[in-house]
Order: sequence, then C-alpha cells, then structure tokens
Amino acid sequence: MLTGEKKKSKSKSKPSDFGYILKHRLVPEHIILSEEEKREVIEKYAGGDPYKLPYIMSSDPVVQAIGAKPGDVIKIIRKSPTAGVSIYYRLVVK
Amino acid sequence: MSVSVPRELKSLMEEAKKYKIDRIEFGVLSPQIIRKMSVVEVTNELYHDEIGAPMANSILDPRFGAPEPGSYCPICGNDRDHCPGHFGHIELAFPVVNVLFAEYVYNILRGVCHSCGRIKIDPDKIELYISRARFLKEKMPDRYKKFVKKVVKEAYSQQVCPHCGSQNIRIKWEKPYKYYRETPQGQVEMVPSEIRELFERIPDEDLILYGLDKEAARPEWLIFTVLPVPPLTVRPSIQLETGERSEDDLTHKLADIVKINNKIHRDKAAGSVAMALKNDYDALQLHVATYLNNELPGIPPSTHRGTRRLKTLAQRLSGKDGRFRNNLVGKRVDFSARTVISPDSNLNINEVGVPVDVAKKLTVRTIVTPYNIEKLRKYVLNGPDVHPGANYVIKPSKGGIRLYLKYANREFVANSLEVGDIVERHLDDGDIVLFNRQPSLHRMSIMAHVARILPYRTFRLHLTVCPPYNADFDGDEMNMHALQNDEASAEALTLMLVQNQIISPRYGAPIIGFGKDHITSAFLLTGYESTISRDLFYTLVSLVDDIRKFNLVTKAESLGLSGKLLFSLLLPETFTYSLKSKLDEDVIIKRGMLIDGIIDKKSIGAEEADTVLHRLVREYGNDFGGWFITNLARILDNYLARRGFSIGVHHLKLSDEVIAKIREIEDEAIKLVDEAIEKYKRGELELIKGLSAEESLEQKIHEILAHARTEAGRIALEVLSRDNPLYVMTASGARGQEINVAQLTALLGQQTIRGKRIMRGYENRTLSTFKEGDMGARARGFVSSSFFSGLTPVEFFFHSMGGREGLMDTAVKTQQSGYLYRRLAYSLDHLRVDHDFVVRTSDGKIVQFVYGEDSVDPARSDHGRPVNVVRLVESISLLYPKGEKASEKFIDRLLNKVGDEIPISLKEELRETLIKKKASKKVVTEAIRQAVINYRKARVDPGAAVGIVAAQSIGEPGTQMTLRTFHYAGVKEKDVTIGLPRIIEIVDAKQSPSTPRMTIYLKEEYRKSQEMAEKIANRLKSTLLRDVVTESIIDIVNKALMFRLDYEAIESVGITDEKIRKIFSRRYSTELRDGFLVIRLPNKDVEGLKKASERFLKRHIAGVSGIIRVTVEKVYNDELGEEEWVIYTAGSSLKDVLQFEGVDPTRTTTNDIFEIYRVLGIEAARAAIINEIKAVMEEQGLDVDYRHVMLLADMMTRDGVIRQAGRYGIVAVRDSVLAKAAFEITIPVLVDASVSGEKDYLRGPTENIIVGSRIPSGTGSVEIYMEVGGNDKSSDDKKA
Repeated sequence: MLTGEKKKSKSKSKPSDFGYILKHRLVPEHIILSEEEKREVIEKYAGGDPYKLPYIMSSDPVVQAIGAKPGDVIKIIRKSPTAGVSIYYRLVVK
Repeated sequence: MSVSVPRELKSLMEEAKKYKIDRIEFGVLSPQIIRKMSVVEVTNELYHDEIGAPMANSILDPRFGAPEPGSYCPICGNDRDHCPGHFGHIELAFPVVNVLFAEYVYNILRGVCHSCGRIKIDPDKIELYISRARFLKEKMPDRYKKFVKKVVKEAYSQQVCPHCGSQNIRIKWEKPYKYYRETPQGQVEMVPSEIRELFERIPDEDLILYGLDKEAARPEWLIFTVLPVPPLTVRPSIQLETGERSEDDLTHKLADIVKINNKIHRDKAAGSVAMALKNDYDALQLHVATYLNNELPGIPPSTHRGTRRLKTLAQRLSGKDGRFRNNLVGKRVDFSARTVISPDSNLNINEVGVPVDVAKKLTVRTIVTPYNIEKLRKYVLNGPDVHPGANYVIKPSKGGIRLYLKYANREFVANSLEVGDIVERHLDDGDIVLFNRQPSLHRMSIMAHVARILPYRTFRLHLTVCPPYNADFDGDEMNMHALQNDEASAEALTLMLVQNQIISPRYGAPIIGFGKDHITSAFLLTGYESTISRDLFYTLVSLVDDIRKFNLVTKAESLGLSGKLLFSLLLPETFTYSLKSKLDEDVIIKRGMLIDGIIDKKSIGAEEADTVLHRLVREYGNDFGGWFITNLARILDNYLARRGFSIGVHHLKLSDEVIAKIREIEDEAIKLVDEAIEKYKRGELELIKGLSAEESLEQKIHEILAHARTEAGRIALEVLSRDNPLYVMTASGARGQEINVAQLTALLGQQTIRGKRIMRGYENRTLSTFKEGDMGARARGFVSSSFFSGLTPVEFFFHSMGGREGLMDTAVKTQQSGYLYRRLAYSLDHLRVDHDFVVRTSDGKIVQFVYGEDSVDPARSDHGRPVNVVRLVESISLLYPKGEKASEKFIDRLLNKVGDEIPISLKEELRETLIKKKASKKVVTEAIRQAVINYRKARVDPGAAVGIVAAQSIGEPGTQMTLRTFHYAGVKEKDVTIGLPRIIEIVDAKQSPSTPRMTIYLKEEYRKSQEMAEKIANRLKSTLLRDVVTESIIDIVNKALMFRLDYEAIESVGITDEKIRKIFSRRYSTELRDGFLVIRLPNKDVEGLKKASERFLKRHIAGVSGIIRVTVEKVYNDELGEEEWVIYTAGSSLKDVLQFEGVDPTRTTTNDIFEIYRVLGIEAARAAIINEIKAVMEEQGLDVDYRHVMLLADMMTRDGVIRQAGRYGIVAVRDSVLAKAAFEITIPVLVDASVSGEKDYLRGPTENIIVGSRIPSGTGSVEIYMEVGGNDKSSDDKKA
C-alpha cells in the first residue's frame, strides 16, 4: 500500500539545526523587521492593528531558524511569477 | 387597484427605508424578555371552539397576529399584509434544557464548582485567563474557542475547588439532554431546575471562560422556564380545498407541548409527588427538544400521525431547502422571463431576441419627461395587448393611483399624461436586459444584452456567445431580467455588456469567439477555395454593417476577388500579425491584409490565447471586437450556407486498399499481443521496472494496441481528400481529432474500464463466447470494427461498457466539482481589493499586500501579462523606423526613472526586448512610456471582488477535469493522483496526499551518473529485514530465530550485517553465525517464535522509512543547461531525505503539502499549494491565471497554518455569522453566535444579500453625489 504511510520524526531539534531549510527553493527570504519598520508597516497596511496582518506561527521552522519572537513582523521577499519579486509581511504569533 | 396601506404604517415603512441595518447582534432570550415580548400566554390546549373560531389563549389565539384577509389585528390594528405578528409564551411547569445549548450546559457543569459557583481555576490565574480570553475573543476568535476548551478542561481536572475547597464532582452527559452527577451512591440525575439554580450563582466575570457573553447569554437562560411561542405569520394555517384547515408543523408541536404542560400543571395542583410526574416531565422535555430540532441523535423524531417527520425549527433553517440557502441567499425576483433558446446569426453578438409575448409582460418603469412624453403617449394608446405598449400608468400627483390600461380609457389617459407620471411600458428594442444560463459558474454566465423584440416564442442569441454561457440548443432554457432604472442600465451597459466580457478573467484571453461552423467556413473561405464569384463576393460584402474599409472594396476587383480579401475587409488597416495555423503553416497579416495562410481555430477560435481575434480585441478595443465578431460571423454563416456543407456515410468509406492496409496493421498488432501472451505464459516476458509480470504484460499489450490505432488513424486521415468534410473539420479545428476519424473510418481500438482492458465478466473470461483464460486482444475488449463498418455484438457490448463508465464519471464529477466550487466561493467571496491595491477580507484582515503581486486584473491582462512587450515594441518600431540606436545605458537610465511604478518582471522584459530589437532612442522612450500607461490601464479597479472571481476561475474548470488517476506510462513512482480528486485533496488541506511522491535532486558529484544515482536511491529506500533475508528458520530446540542474510542485498542498501545485528541486540541476545543472524528468544513458545519472526521480518533496518519505491530518471535541467539524474519515489519523508547524504537539500521536494509545512514552514507550503494546483491544471490542459491560484493559497495560509477551503477552515474563521450559517452547519453556527454574543456587522457579500442590502464591493463600495442646480460653475461644466 502506498497510501497513508506517515511517520513523523518528532526529534527535538535546536534552532541552529534548521539552517539548511533556509536554502531550500520553496523557502523565500524571511527578514525580521526593526521596531521602526514594523511600526511603519502596521501603520501603512493595517491601520495600526497588527492583528490584521497575516500570521506566521512562532513554531514555524523558518521563524525558529531566524530566531524571531512572537510580536515580531517578518518581511518575506517572494519570487513572483507575475511581478518578479513581491513583498509580504507576517506577524509572528504564538 | 393599488393596495391601501394604513397611513401610519406606511410612513413607518417609508421611515425604515431611510435606515441601513448597522449590525445584527446574536444572543439568548432571557425569561424576562420572553414574557415582555409576549402578548398572549398559551394555556388552552384546544385549537377551535364548537363553531370553528380560534379559542382565546390557544396557540391560534387571534392576538398572535396575521388575521384573516379583511380583518384587523387586535394588537397592532393592521390588516393581514401589514401585521408583523406577535409572540406569545408558555409558562413551563418544569424548567427544561434547551437542547441546542446542551453542550454548553455540559461544559459549564464541568467547569463550575457546585458549591461556590466559581470556575475551578486558581484565583491567581483567573485574572490572567480572563484577560487572555478577552484578547483572543476580539483579535483571534478562532483561537478563543480552543482556549475555552482548554480552560474548562483545566477546571474540570481540579480535585478540589481552588476557591472554596469542596470536592470536584464528576459529571456525565447522556446525550442529548440528560446530566448525571456521580456520587458515592451512584449516578444521580441533575434536573434542569437544579442546574438552573446552580447557574444563577455563576458570577458574570467567569462567563467569558465558558465561551459565554454576560450580556448575550446568562447561563441560566440556557434552561427554559418559559417558552416563546412564535406568531402565526411564522406558522400559518392553510385552508385545504375541502375547506378543512391544516396547521403548520410548528403549531402541532406547540400543541403537544401545551397539552403535556397543562397536564403537569393540573397534577401538580392536585398534589402529585415529583416521582409520579417524572414521566410527564420527560415527555415535556422531549417535546421541547424536538420542537427545536427534530433530528437529534438518539431521539425518535416526532412524526405527523406516524408518517411524515415534522419539520421543526432547526430543519426550517438548515440545508439546501432551508431558509438560508433557499430564501435568503437565493431569492426569487420580479421582472424576469424564461424560455427555450435558439440561435440567430443575424443578431449582433450583444443582442438577445425576446419573444413579443415576453415583451408584453415585462415592463419598464419610465418617468414621463418633456422629452419622452410623445413616445409614451403612443405606448399608452397601444395598451397592454399591442406590442410597443404599456400596462400601467401611475400618477403620483393623484396620490399614486395605478391605472390598468387594459380597461382604462386609454385615449383619456394618454392625453392627461403629464411630466412626472410613471408609465410601465413594454420592454422594447434597445432596452438593456440581463441574460443568464444556469449553472452560473463564472461571471460571463450573466451578461447584459440589448433586447430585440422578435416574433415566435424563443429567446434568440448569437452563436458566438454560446461558450461563455455553455449553451447549446438541444432544449436549453435561459433566463432574462429586465432592468428597471437608468442607474442599473448604465451599470450593466458599462460592466456587463457582451463585448466587455470577451476576455475571460480566468486566463486573460477571449472566451467569446468562433467555433464549429464558423471555423469550418473560415477555413474553406480563406483556404483552398479562396477565389469566389463576383456575385457571392459582393453579396457577402453587403452583409457587413458599417463597413470601415470602403477603399478596399473599390479596389477589390483589381486585387482579385478572394476569401482572403473578404476576411481582410474586416481587419483594421494598421493591423499586422503573424502566427502558425493549426496545420503549422504561417498565417501572415500585413497592414490589414491577409497575405498568406488559412484562417482556422488558431486564428479565430474561442477559448484560445494569442489568436488574431485576441490581438484585435486587445489592440482595438472591446467594441471593435464585438463588431468584428458580429460581422465576420455573418459572412461566415452566409458563405457556408450558400456553399453548402454536409457529411454522409460515403465520406467515411475508405478504399479497399487502405482497408487492407489497416487490417494488416491490426493483424500484426494482434499477433504481437499473442506473442507477448505466450512469452508471459512461459515466464519469459521482459519485465518493466517496478511492475509485476501481469502488469508488464498489460502495459505491453496496451502499447501495442494503442500504436495500432494511431497508426490506422494516421493512414485513414492521410488518404482523406481535402474536400472531405472529415478532413475539413479536423484540419480546421472545428470539430473532431485524429482519433475520431480513426474510429469512424478505420477501427475503434481498445475499450477500457478504469484505464485497464476489460477484465470483468465470468470466471477468467469476459463473455461466454471466449475460452476461459483467453487473454487475447479481442477477448479483452479490442474492437477492430469501425463505426462505418459496424460493430459485432461482442464489440458493441464492450463499447457500451466503456460508454457507461463515461456516463458514471460525468455524474459523479458534476457533484464533486459543484461542491468544490461552493466551498471555494464561500471561502473567498468576501475578499476585495481596496484603494491601496491591498486585498482584504470584509473584516479588514490582509490577505495580499498587492493583488496578484502586481495588481493586474487578469481580465485586462494579455494572457496573464499586463503588457505584451514584444507586440508593443514591434508596433512602435513600425511607427519610428529610423533613428539613433539606443545604448543599454540609455535604456537602463529610462527604466530607472520609471522607478517602482511598474513591476520588476515587466522592466526586465522591456529591457531584454529593447536590447534584442536594437531599438532606437525614440522607440525606447515611446515603448517605456506606453508600457507604463498600458500597465496602469491593466490594474484592477479598487473595490473589485477578486475573491469570487478566483473561486470561479478555479471552480468552473472543475467540471472539465478528469476524475481518475492517470497511469504515467507504467512508472509507479510517478503515478500520482491528478485531476479533480487532486485539486479537492489540496483544497481540503488533507493531512497527507493519497499518493505521496518525492522528486529528489542530487548534489553535483552524484547527479551525473546513473550508477551513483541508483546507489543513493537504493540507500534511500526503506529496507526491511525481509528484503535482505533469503531464508528464515525457527529453531525450536534452542528457542531462536535464524535469518540467512543476503550479503549482496545488504551491501546495495549501504549497511553491514553488524549494523543489522545491533538493531536487534538492544533488546535481544543476538549473534552472527555462518551467514545467519541469530536472535535468541528463550522465553517464547513455538507460537510466540512464529509471531516474532513475522514481526522481525517487517522491521525497518535501513534507508528512510516512508520511502517505499524508488526509480531514477535522466532529466534535462534548464538552469544548469545539462542533463542530470533525478530520483523519484513513492512515499515521502522530506525531513529525513533532505538531510540524507548526496541529496541536494535546496531543490528536493514532495507533493505532501503538510510535510512541507512542517519541515519548511508556511511560506514554502504556500508555494507548494500554488505549484501543485497549477501543475494539475496544466496537466489537464486548463488555463488558469496565476493570480487566482495565489489568492487561494494566500487565503489558505493567511493565519500561519494551512486552512482548508471549507467548513472547518477558512469559512469557520469568517467574521460573519450569517455567511457561516448560510454555508453549512447552520445550527451550531447560530448557537455559538448566540451564546458568545457575536455581532454581524454586515460587511461581506453574503450577509448583505441575506438582509437585502447593497453589497459593499465593486460599484457598491462607492457613492456618487451630484450637485443639482444652484452652483453655476458645475452647470457650465455640463454645457461644455
């Protein structure tokens, strides 16, 4: 049977172990915004309410790898099939 | 005559129209409010008295409202049409649980301390929890529910109450509405009165931790003490033809409740003890429960005299026939008509032929002005029965009196017509109407047409608008809606008119275009028959409306009268284009002249990109496009009609020589099949990697027979003469492909079921005419007859089997894709683009920061791109042929000046094209300037409802997808779920795909040779002990298991015998001896040893667990510019594979989206969703713009987790209660909303449709104000 065979390897890895995933093609560049940049983004797009932004879980492997904390806003530089490059922001939540 | 409305009420209604509903708050009624609302207490269990009048204080008491026609309501004084109805109540003899809230009652009972009434949470923590709950409830409502669950669980797990120290009590809930308290003496039922008393002691501040809102729902309100009785408007009685009255289901149910309630009241008064009342109390609870919901699990539903199930409150609301889906989201409308459709090629594409009978019924309200008064007088004189007439005249000056013109003195009415009167005139030529065919799968399913009143009784439409409606004329019916005011007409005209919908937003190319006969005709007209008679030429020219190239007509004689010239007549003089035709010949158009090539599907077909038609519509506008289609269609239809085109059986007859050739091919194939079978039987058949002997044989036979059919088809098509209609139709792309010709003339070929040869039937044979075990071609469904020659009975039977499968698939597919579409629609319909090009949900959550990442509207794009750079540069170069060549530096400087006004990809394309074209400075400047302008024009309109368009663009092609998995040339590692099932799997956010597959790329040093790749592949593959053991012995004497090891196999998977031993040595005493692995199990008996042996053989010893099969393949890599070896696997384990020696961890992927999410994060998961959906669409040959797929993926991953597009995912976290309730699980949604006091602010489309107000997106998101008079300046502007 090919279906339904799934084994989750639940080994607890340290943040530094996640490094290799950042180089994967499917993973765009994630940058933690400075407080000031963060405020600017929240003001510009979300009218001051950070919870209107898209989220990213603090348990997300990329968040772990770059060491972001809940409350941070992450800037994501995506490769875009339409625009070439596109910017996305996500709020780190627990 | 007009309806008379009591003055006071009318003004109230007028008053209400001025207000907009701001929000709807949900909550639970308190007993106080129920009593306050009530105008009658129901105590009388009878319906009527002796003379049939409703009894006072019965459930039919006249005070419930909705009196007989002609009488007035005793409460509000209105007549039947205006009395809203009034609530009553029943005082319950015992409190009963409101079943809908039973789960909440249970949770509160568990969380609360039965002594002190506080929630059993540590006093130190309670503040923190409350503030967390408040925060979550406001900002992340979906998390709030989970949080409540956690808190209640924590409270319930306390041994003693942290507040008062009393013991925790275990609660048992016997669904649906009984609760027990566990005591040392056993279970004791908690009666609702007891629960109520307990709940009353719960302090307000604790409520938020149970999911309750203190304003909306005190916990004691979840138990009924008094039951509201809805007004008669909610449960009207109906008069049967026999004169008998029949009461509504709710009335019956309420009567049951009153009856039992009265009995308890009486018995209580008579002094019965509680125990004696127990049965009646249970009955009361049961009746109240089924009154609310008659489909409770574990409870027999109430029936109408033992037959029909009663439809009680919950059933009224939920499901397809419930209030939400049937009456609120879908509404019936006035001013509509429906009839059969038929084609009319004399119409303009944006016209619709409306039967006179329809036109006389459908009216348009027209206000009389000085400008139209004469015309309207004529309408009035004609009256209702003569066509351009009128049915009613309304005179606001005479108190809004409404005159029916059939019986009025029309002459008098016409003469007394004055400015300001309203005439309800007949629909007439030139009116704008909406035309629609169901299912309305995309926005082109409803378009605005210009009405044309015609005789006869069908709607007539132009053939080229069939594709967007998906209409044909085999009995299809369509709906038409007459627009009622100028605002609506203007909006429909600009947004919905047929020619403005030519470009589909799904893929940015024309969906309206030519098909079938038109293509055949164009092919003939511009093809081999190109010269045509003078007579015909000018006849066809004369058909063209508003001809734009008169000079060409005058020159026609000298140019030679030809079909090509005729076609050129419709092309703009500046138009230059070239493309490849279907037969791969050049089609060249220069300055509006078709120089060379044959016009076919590739040039003018519908649903194709980069056709002549596409270019024309893009470059000369929609109105030109409409004109072009209308007039070309007219020429083509007339040409074909005059020339004649038909097909008969004689066209299918092949010459004897060709038949003989085909028979030869067929015989050869059958011989090959027989040989293969022989080989198989002898066990000599060469196996295909990864397949069993049977599978290899089937694969082989398939290949042989498929080859035979293509070969035969090719020969058949080859010998068709060029005037054979079969050839004309296939070559032009009008209809049919090579395989259809082959099946008609040569042979049908292999019939299949589930992609396999026909296997079912009797034991080892398909039909009794065959010998048992016959595996030959004919015995398994190979049909060697053609449709022309006719099928043998056996062949006919096999053919029908295949045909039936097709029918079954279609039936299943329509259901599945319909449901997929519904889920997508409810997941995305509340998204819109705001003025800053940010895509937000209706409650303001950001989904995309720039729509589609470049803010381009696919419907305004050129097959996905905002600007067709190559075309642009070409056309500008033609205008400025000379000039100094621009340097790269010059180009870069200009592009830099543009800044980030245009996307990077567009800039790069401009740069590349301009450099490649060696453009002059002038051309560069102009090209960049126009590119910016065109980009701006291609951007979406703020307010655009991009979500629903995305849902349509993914949902609509669902009907066109295949249902089954596709066998990828027999390579199992690449045999993945595709088509509709795969899309559903992705959109469902299933935890693991049904066919997990990995594509593993290798590091540079390994990817060059097959040997290396295979070595890694073998090591990756999950190896079980079984795979490296040739023999296993159970040594009963020594109580040990002995496995003979296959050292060659051990080496190939890259381990050693010692390693294997170590795996087992952790728990058992082991040893390697004489090529055996010995495991001693001294404590087992014979049975135990056998079992252990089985278990050990299945033990994973090497490779990556989860990787079941592997195969390697050489693939060309675009980026590297060379070939490399790649590993494909069945089974997936991304994390382990990425860290495996030799694997390239940057490119290796899996099709398991959740695995990508776990290992690579949410952004990678988003990318994977897009790639997977796109891949399926492409594989199915369906064109869907990237932006739609991206929007779906962004919505699915917005919250940092993957949410399904469905009831537990995106829809569950929508902010609107009404939208959620309209989707699925109506009752739980409403219950949760009431208990937690949710508010619906009516910001999305669904909610606003439900309450009947304007949707705040598109043109509904703006208001237009106009200054009327007064200001001189503005009136001057108007004159100018």
